[in-house]
Amino acid sequence: MLYLITFTLIYLAITIYLSYLGFRKTISVSDYLLAGRQVHPVIMSLSYGSTYISTSAIIGFGGISALYGFTMSWLAFLNIFVGVWLAFVLFGKRTRKMGKALDAHTFPELLGRRYNSRFIQGFSGFIILFFMPFYTSAILISISRFIEVYLKVPFTTAFLVFLLINACYVIWGGLKGVLYTSVFQGAIMVVVMVVVGITTYASAGGVINAHRELMSLTEIIPKELIINGHRGFISFPEMGSPVWWTVITTFILGVGIGVLGQPQLNVRFMTLKSDRELNRSIPFTALYILLTTGIAFAVGVITNLMFYKHLKILSIEAVAGNVDKIIPLYIDKFYPQWFVAIFLVTLMAAAMSANSAQFHALGASLSRDIFEQALLKGKSVAETTIITRVGIVFSIFATLILGLTMPEGTVAKATAFFFGLCGSTFVPTYFFGLYWKRATKTAAKASILTGFFSFLFWTIFFHESESKLLGICRLLFGKDTLGGHPFNVIDPQIFALPVSCIVFVVLSFFTKPVDEGVLKKAFRHI
Amino acid sequence: LAFTDILIFLGYVLTPISTFFCILYGILNWNKGV
Repeated sequence: MLYLITFTLIYLAITIYLSYLGFRKTISVSDYLLAGRQVHPVIMSLSYGSTYISTSAIIGFGGISALYGFTMSWLAFLNIFVGVWLAFVLFGKRTRKMGKALDAHTFPELLGRRYNSRFIQGFSGFIILFFMPFYTSAILISISRFIEVYLKVPFTTAFLVFLLINACYVIWGGLKGVLYTSVFQGAIMVVVMVVVGITTYASAGGVINAHRELMSLTEIIPKELIINGHRGFISFPEMGSPVWWTVITTFILGVGIGVLGQPQLNVRFMTLKSDRELNRSIPFTALYILLTTGIAFAVGVITNLMFYKHLKILSIEAVAGNVDKIIPLYIDKFYPQWFVAIFLVTLMAAAMSANSAQFHALGASLSRDIFEQALLKGKSVAETTIITRVGIVFSIFATLILGLTMPEGTVAKATAFFFGLCGSTFVPTYFFGLYWKRATKTAAKASILTGFFSFLFWTIFFHESESKLLGICRLLFGKDTLGGHPFNVIDPQIFALPVSCIVFVVLSFFTKPVDEGVLKKAFRHI
Repeated sequence: LAFTDILIFLGYVLTPISTFFCILYGILNWNKGV
């Protein structure tokens, strides 16, 4: 306990000091929302990385790796190739240039101004405001599970206390405060994850030995998982089996592709002053992702070996089926108490850096996208910062309600849900807006609406893990899902993203192009 | 090697390769973009 109090106080003191530094330098709206568009590449890469990789990745997806094995290494690959290289080079450069040309301050504002549509900006803001809390609560559940295991306090108490700490931190200061602290938080995460990775493999007898011993654990995998297609921790699941569809479409592709439509990440590209800074950010961000998610996923799988060596059971059995508790229990059981305290502070850093960026995007969605654009028809008001904070408070309450009502073991699922929703709704409109001058306002509106509603339709009526939970399908049709295998295990994004893409392309050919003046302005730097 | 083993092996290999690719891209374009 003494370790925890000491490390937490040191961490909070540094965080508050850095927040204050950022707060002092926040003068204009552009400073508040985009850190003045003058961010250093290393700061950009660490802040992007620590926003992207949160406690959800370490706790939620680390737990999923413990359950499904090294198949999850494909997500680490997509996190780097799609989440860094494609996102920065294909999307980031044009986002930065177009954002500057259109004087856009938020992701919905970029889309709205590119297509000259207040509806697109307002509706995108609405989606962020009402659905991002699923992701913010997943992040808070992760750290609350760790506090629950480590301090033996009830989950609800842990959740409420940490939400309160986070809320105080976020409401104060703009993006500059968030950027400064996320660099510090990102640095802590890298160091601690590297230590966890090295010590885990050392305890397991080295890389080769660990992987060899994992092969022998295949025999004791629970029968239910084997029936559903699990083929061991170092084998891919059986092609076409329920486990295969779930791992590939929800956890790997859902997050791997959905990252391209994440508003709180895309706004980061608009904080840089030139493409040179963006080019220089790429290596640091890729390394950061490798050293955080790559290690978290590998450690997740190796926990099975550690639990089997000491308790003769697999990780999933040690936590009675709650995957969100695997990493917390592993750290608590196999590391000295002073290190457990440091790991908790690391999770605190991961949660605060990701949550602060999300709450920031949520607040901006209410003030800039919904209030100023959709309700006041583009009239700028002096109360923007106050309304942003109202948005943050609203999202904190939404997070609180969701966090306390979502069932156990849903961190990775809730994360994949939000990533998939953003991918289906925003990616076609975003991509074509950056690259295709023929892309029309009508097509963009239709694509966003189609992506959004088809994703929700599949979630409510087909994807069994959510449709069963929501109960709407059972209420209307007397069964949990309208589709048999494999439709009940295919992620909604796999259905909704192609549909919204097709709608966009077809309608663009048959509807009136965006006004020439708007296009000229949008593409002026490209 | 079974096809599923090859897929797992690819997952192992592609992660560091993509990181190396990103580092190389950053170095080759270090002064470009102004």
